Amino acid sequence: MVGTSDLQELQLVCPGAAVLHESNLEYVYLPRLKLPAGCSPPEADGLLCLQGRDGYLTRLFLSAEVRGKGNNWKAHQILSRTWYVCSWNNVSSDLRPAQILAEHLRAFR
Amino acid sequence: MKAHFRITSDLLGHILSDLRRPHPFAGERVGFLTCRAGILVRNEFVLLGQKWHTIADEDYIRDFSVGAMIGAAAFRKILQYGYTNPVSVFHVHLHEHDGIPRFSQTDQRETAKFVPDFWNVRHGLPHGALVLSNTSVSGKCWYSAATQPIPISEFRIVGAPIKWVRHE
Amino acid sequence: MNERFQRQSFLGPNSDEILEHCRVGVIGMGGGGSHIVQQLGHIGIGQLVVVDNDRVEESNLNRLVGATATDAKKGRLKVDVARRVIKGINPKARIKTIPKLWQTSGEDLRVCDVIIGCLDTFSARAELEAMARRFLIPYIDIGMDVHTVETRFVISGQVILSIPGHPCLRCVGFLNDYLLAQEAQRYGAAGARPQVVWPNGVLASLAVGILMQLLTPWHGEHRTIEYLEFDGNQNIVVRSNRLAHLQTDRCPHFEDGDNLGDPFFGVACEKNALLCDA
Repeated sequence: MVGTSDLQELQLVCPGAAVLHESNLEYVYLPRLKLPAGCSPPEADGLLCLQGRDGYLTRLFLSAEVRGKGNNWKAHQILSRTWYVCSWNNVSSDLRPAQILAEHLRAFR
Repeated sequence: MKAHFRITSDLLGHILSDLRRPHPFAGERVGFLTCRAGILVRNEFVLLGQKWHTIADEDYIRDFSVGAMIGAAAFRKILQYGYTNPVSVFHVHLHEHDGIPRFSQTDQRETAKFVPDFWNVRHGLPHGALVLSNTSVSGKCWYSAATQPIPISEFRIVGAPIKWVRHE
Repeated sequence: MNERFQRQSFLGPNSDEILEHCRVGVIGMGGGGSHIVQQLGHIGIGQLVVVDNDRVEESNLNRLVGATATDAKKGRLKVDVARRVIKGINPKARIKTIPKLWQTSGEDLRVCDVIIGCLDTFSARAELEAMARRFLIPYIDIGMDVHTVETRFVISGQVILSIPGHPCLRCVGFLNDYLLAQEAQRYGAAGARPQVVWPNGVLASLAVGILMQLLTPWHGEHRTIEYLEFDGNQNIVVRSNRLAHLQTDRCPHFEDGDNLGDPFFGVACEKNALLCDA
């Protein structure tokens, strides 16, 4: 469960962050998430899953692929939209939510 | 602009059962159906029946000039729900006959009075009204506070089997 | 009644009209999907949305209904083969072909009355079912597998009906987190899975039969959940005993209101400009 403090922490990074549900999973919607410098696009909507999904401890889905960064991009249909995710594992769900997000964004540095 | 409506047969059956219950003094019952929505194609959207909100017996007002009159408490409850949940709100009542139901002049007048209140608490989502019969359904939808309501062009009742009601 | 459909008049007095107005989405134009669209053409489904990003290859010709050696040589899109097959049977059918991953074409599927999934992976099935539930669309899932048990080969398959409000693929135990995690770990190591034409034919026919019970009133016994298991070694189809273990006819996995509709509808008005006051 994404707690109030978890959401507030992510809202400091991404104003407008909100929790959404699909099936038995929770996602934190991160509108217009700023990606690391040099990324194309420079920002994208994000969907952060703080719990295990598809064998990954946590996952960060984006509304667009980051060109030239990340490997094995796959498309998913979640919450009635298309989202893209690359292979980037072992970001533990034990970290603070903002740390989890930061660790996932390292894939695009 | 075209509006479509989908509801599970179980939810519709639950609504009909509730509306058919006798009331201590009102001639008929009414209620609210909250819905989610989505775009289908350009200029067409779909409303998806989500939850039925029964109106408590004590929230009806004695007014024998109409079939049913509900008081401020009933509206307060549904407006509160609409404020805290991103839903469209539809007023629903039943005409106990077979065939296509139609909104009476009273229905249309009363609906136009309270739908704007739904816009105040939940701007940006369509709201409206449905009228059921024993075998069919009709509806109107306001998708903007600035426009006249549009008829709901197709109802799909999702169950086994699937049923459609189309108003061309 | 159209002379073409006289032999199926038992489906009900308005059945040809029902079928003509119906729109069915078929996701995956491989061995299973290609069988299904051929049958939908015969039966008179008036509108189809067919989705597959793949092209015909030589190795598909052992099972891809309607595909020819020339199609394989030219690398024809599988959805184009499907269109040719359907139109050859029913020239009046309106067909939307989507030669893309279905995950990038979700909006095109929202208009469907029923979606039939002929997909390869559990994760894709989970997402397709969730999308179908969001828009209150009944979903029929089919799949087959050839696997090795000790030294022998076993052919198996399933057809599952998932109706919004009623048990889903998770409820009946077909999907669970363990299977999804196992599948994710095998990603990239799967290789070409064995596939043959006749089990696909059995499963496709069962799926179309279930579809017809959803659409037309001929049957009288309407099931809100179906899970049929095909044993391709014994050549039998049985109702899964997993259904006997269902505690309830309701589904707890999609009850939350968030699982319905587009959660971004009306939230960001610039995305739904047609519904916002100027």
